Amino acid sequence: MNNRFVINYTPGPTYLHQLSGFTKVLLFIVMTVAIISTYDVRILWPLFFICLAQMISMKPNWKPIIFMFLFTFVTVTLLGNVMLFVVSPDAGLNNCGTETIIWTSKTGRFYISKEWLWYVFAVFTKRTASFASVMAFALMTTPSEFASGLNKCGMPYKVCTIISLAYRTIPDIANDFIDIRNSMMMRGVELGKKASLGKRLKNNVTLLVPLIMSSFGKVTGIANAMDLRGYGKYKKRTWYAEHEPTKADRLVRGLTIALAVLTACYIVWSKAIDPWPAKIWCPFSDPSQIRNVSLEESFFLFRWLKSLFQ
Amino acid sequence: MAEKSLGQKLLGVWNTKTIVAVAIGAALFGVLMVYGGIPVTTNTNLTTAMVIPVVVGAFFGPLPALVSAGVGNVIADLIGGWGMWFDWSIGNGIAAFFVGLLPVYGAYVTEGVFNWKHAIIYAICVVVGNGIAFGVVTPIFTTLFYGGDLNVTFIQAIAGSISNIAVELVVGIPLMFILAARSKSRTNLKEEE
Repeated sequence: MNNRFVINYTPGPTYLHQLSGFTKVLLFIVMTVAIISTYDVRILWPLFFICLAQMISMKPNWKPIIFMFLFTFVTVTLLGNVMLFVVSPDAGLNNCGTETIIWTSKTGRFYISKEWLWYVFAVFTKRTASFASVMAFALMTTPSEFASGLNKCGMPYKVCTIISLAYRTIPDIANDFIDIRNSMMMRGVELGKKASLGKRLKNNVTLLVPLIMSSFGKVTGIANAMDLRGYGKYKKRTWYAEHEPTKADRLVRGLTIALAVLTACYIVWSKAIDPWPAKIWCPFSDPSQIRNVSLEESFFLFRWLKSLFQ
Repeated sequence: MAEKSLGQKLLGVWNTKTIVAVAIGAALFGVLMVYGGIPVTTNTNLTTAMVIPVVVGAFFGPLPALVSAGVGNVIADLIGGWGMWFDWSIGNGIAAFFVGLLPVYGAYVTEGVFNWKHAIIYAICVVVGNGIAFGVVTPIFTTLFYGGDLNVTFIQAIAGSISNIAVELVVGIPLMFILAARSKSRTNLKEEE
C-alpha cells in the first residue's frame, strides 16, 4: 500500500523541494490555469515538458507514477474513447469545425474522421499535461507546505488547517481501515471478487460503521488538544513550514510570474485579438471552411428535448 | 440547545471541533474513495465514501459536508493518483451540500431525532442534489477544464449519480437510524455550560 503513495510528509533534498510552500502553490495554480486555458497542442506539449522536467529533477520513485499514468490511460483515455466513438463520432466536427472521413462502418452509424482522431489526441495531451502538473506538485509539496502556501494565497487559515489535518490523519485512517478489513475477512466476511456486487457493497458497509465510529471518536480529543494550545484565538497565524524566500524562491517566483503574464497575454490574444474559428486548433482544417456546430446540434440531450417539442 | 437561525444551520458553527471533524471526514472520504470503491464506468465508482458527507452533514451541517467532500476528493485524487479532476471534486462538494442539509429540515441526528418523514425528505435531497451536481455542474466544468465531450461526460455523470444515489439511500438511511439511536441513548446526559 505504502508504495502507492506519492505524497511526501517530509521535504526531499532537491532544488524544487527546498522552495517555500507559497512558491510551489503559486507555480501549481499558474500551471493549472495555463493548461485549462488552451486546447492548442502547440502550447500544451511545452507545458507538459516543463512539468516532466520538474518531475525528473526531483528524482522520484517512478513505479507508482507510471502505474497511475497507465491506470488513468486505460480507464479514462481508452475506455473513454471507446465510449466517445460509440456516442459521438461527430466530436471531430463539433470541436474542429470540419470533417474528413477516413473510415465508415457498413450501416454508416459509426465513422472515424481525421478531426475525430485529432480531437482525441488534443484531449489526451491536455489530460496528460494536467496529470503531469498535478504529479509534479504532489511530489514537491508536503501537506504543511500546501496548507501554508494556500494560506498565503488568501485562503482562510481554517480551511488550510483542514487540508493539512486531513493529510495528517490519512495514514492513521488507512491503517485503521486495513486493520478492520483484515479482522472482518478473518471472520469470514467476503470482500473480494468471490462475492456478488450486492453482497460486496453490504460487506463494505459493515466495515464502515466501526471505521466511522473510531475516526469520529478522535475528534473531541484532537479538538481539545488544539484548543488548549490556543488554536483559533487570532485572525491570522504563522506556519512552521513556511520560510523566508531564498534565492531559488525568487527565481522560481519570477519565472512563475512570467508564465502567468504569458498565459494572460495568450488568453487575450486567442480569445479576442486573433481567435481560431473553431474550438480546437487542428492542422487538417482550413480556417475558411470551418463550420461552428451549436450546442443544440451536438449534445444529445438538447437534440432529444428539441425533438420532443417539435 | 438554543434554536439556531437558518443561516447558522446552513453554514454550521466553525469552531475547532468542526474543523477537526471536517478534516477527518475529508480524510475518510479520501481513503474510502481509494480503497472502498467498486468501479462502475470510467471516472465513476460505486463507493461507500459517499456516506461520509451524510455523517458530517448530520453532525455539523451542509457547508462542512461540502468542504469535507470537496477536500476529500482532492485528497483522493492525490493519493489514488488518477490525476486531478476538479470538475468531480466541485460536483461532489455540491452534491454533499444537498445531502448534508439534514439539520436544516429538523433531523437532529446528534440529538437522536431521525424518523421516516426525515428519511423521505433526505431521499428527495439526495436525488435533487446529485441531479444538480452531476447533471449540470460537473459536465459544465468538465467541458470547461478538460475539453471532455459533453455526450460522454453526461453518460458518466448519469452513471455516477445513480451509483451515488444508490449508496446514499441504501447505506445512508439505515446508518442515520443507527446513529440517531446511538445518540438518543445519551441525550439524558446534559453538558454543563
